[in-house]
Amino acid sequence: MNRESHLWIEAELKQKDRLLLKCFKMKIPVYDTYEKGKSLFLKIRIEDYKIIKKFWFVKIKKKDVTGLLKVKELMWKYHIFLFAVLFAIILLFFLTNIMVKVEVIHSKKEIRDIVLLSLAEKGIKKNTFRKNYHELEKIKKEILEEYPEKLEWMEIEVKGMNYIVRVEERKIASLDEEKTACHIVATKDALVKDMVFSKGDKMIMINDTVKKGDILISGIIKKEEEIKGIVCASGVVYGEVWYQISASVPLEYTVTKRTGKKRWNFRYHNSYYDDFLLKSRLDSYEEESHPFFNLLGQELSFIVQHEVEKETKLYTEEEAENIAVETALKKIQSSLDEKESIIDKKVLKKEKNNSTMNVEIFVSVKESIGEIQEFEIEEIKKE
Amino acid sequence: MHLYKTMRSFLLDQDYYIDMWGNFIHVYGLVDIETLGEKQITLILEKFKLNIKGLNFRVLKLTKEEILIEGILEGVSINYE
Repeated sequence: MNRESHLWIEAELKQKDRLLLKCFKMKIPVYDTYEKGKSLFLKIRIEDYKIIKKFWFVKIKKKDVTGLLKVKELMWKYHIFLFAVLFAIILLFFLTNIMVKVEVIHSKKEIRDIVLLSLAEKGIKKNTFRKNYHELEKIKKEILEEYPEKLEWMEIEVKGMNYIVRVEERKIASLDEEKTACHIVATKDALVKDMVFSKGDKMIMINDTVKKGDILISGIIKKEEEIKGIVCASGVVYGEVWYQISASVPLEYTVTKRTGKKRWNFRYHNSYYDDFLLKSRLDSYEEESHPFFNLLGQELSFIVQHEVEKETKLYTEEEAENIAVETALKKIQSSLDEKESIIDKKVLKKEKNNSTMNVEIFVSVKESIGEIQEFEIEEIKKE
Repeated sequence: MHLYKTMRSFLLDQDYYIDMWGNFIHVYGLVDIETLGEKQITLILEKFKLNIKGLNFRVLKLTKEEILIEGILEGVSINYE
């Protein structure tokens, strides 16, 4: 870029040479020239413009500066646009660098609270600037060192404007080993189906019926009525347990079906306000939300509203019974682990009221029935 | 000013020079311009007149001491008066 500022002038005159000769006589340097039609274009110094303007045989039609002055002129001409661009860049910088949420993913509230507090102390909290990778690594290391007994592993992930913190709790080996004397006792009435034990004396056989509180694996090891040793019994006993469950299902159900008609809307949300920006013109609809903007607790989402038609239908007796059984079994299944299972089921009673179907079901389940129960060694010795 | 003139005469030890290349003529050491036409240009230097003849002459740059001309050159003559 030419830093020295010059002026291009368009001079309209009959004798073009005359102007050049006059410039030479007046010691006005001409840095460039070209002709276009009847006009002669000259590149001169800005201060010489006033002199040329006074020549009576020249008619100056247009002038245009070059160099830094041109830059200044353009900047002034487009100052609103430049300001808008600058503002947009700053806004973009803020939007891409401000974190609006810190989410700690762990099932225990205690762990979540510890991590959130530590992160906040180290500057990771909402509405702050994003930390770089090295800072995050350093903070992660510091927190893990701060809670060596509680935290095993931690990962801080930056997702958009959110920090997602995944934590793994440190599980210290169970204190069972410290227990010196314990039995495995039955937690419920059952029929023994399977058994695995590593320590203790087995008190039951497969297909034995046990009652709640019966000792399944004893911590007292006897031989011919003489106590040979006392241990903390360990093992797992699976038994068949019976449940009687009732479930009820409404006979009426509603089916929603999209009509294909849709409307767009925006939802604005903050701690005081949560509503659509445009009037909703559909009576019944399903929403599909696309977060659009989230800054400092101000959320704007783009919403697609799909119109739906609702239709009320009735289950047949058979369908209602199946659904009730399914619901009841799901309920039981959710409390079982992978080695436990439902053995059998039977519908005991079904009753249809005006609007519901009530079903009573008998379910037999194979599940763990043993739990550790400590005892005092001194008492055993006295006996 | 004296120092400047001495330095200048040391570095630029010619009173004038005329360069010609392609369709360009560069003249340094100009005192005056007598004619400035499309077919003929007469330049006055300190000790002689320089006549340049040709076609489509156009002045590209012009300062108090030098001139740059573009055009089809047909002949150059020097006239000592």
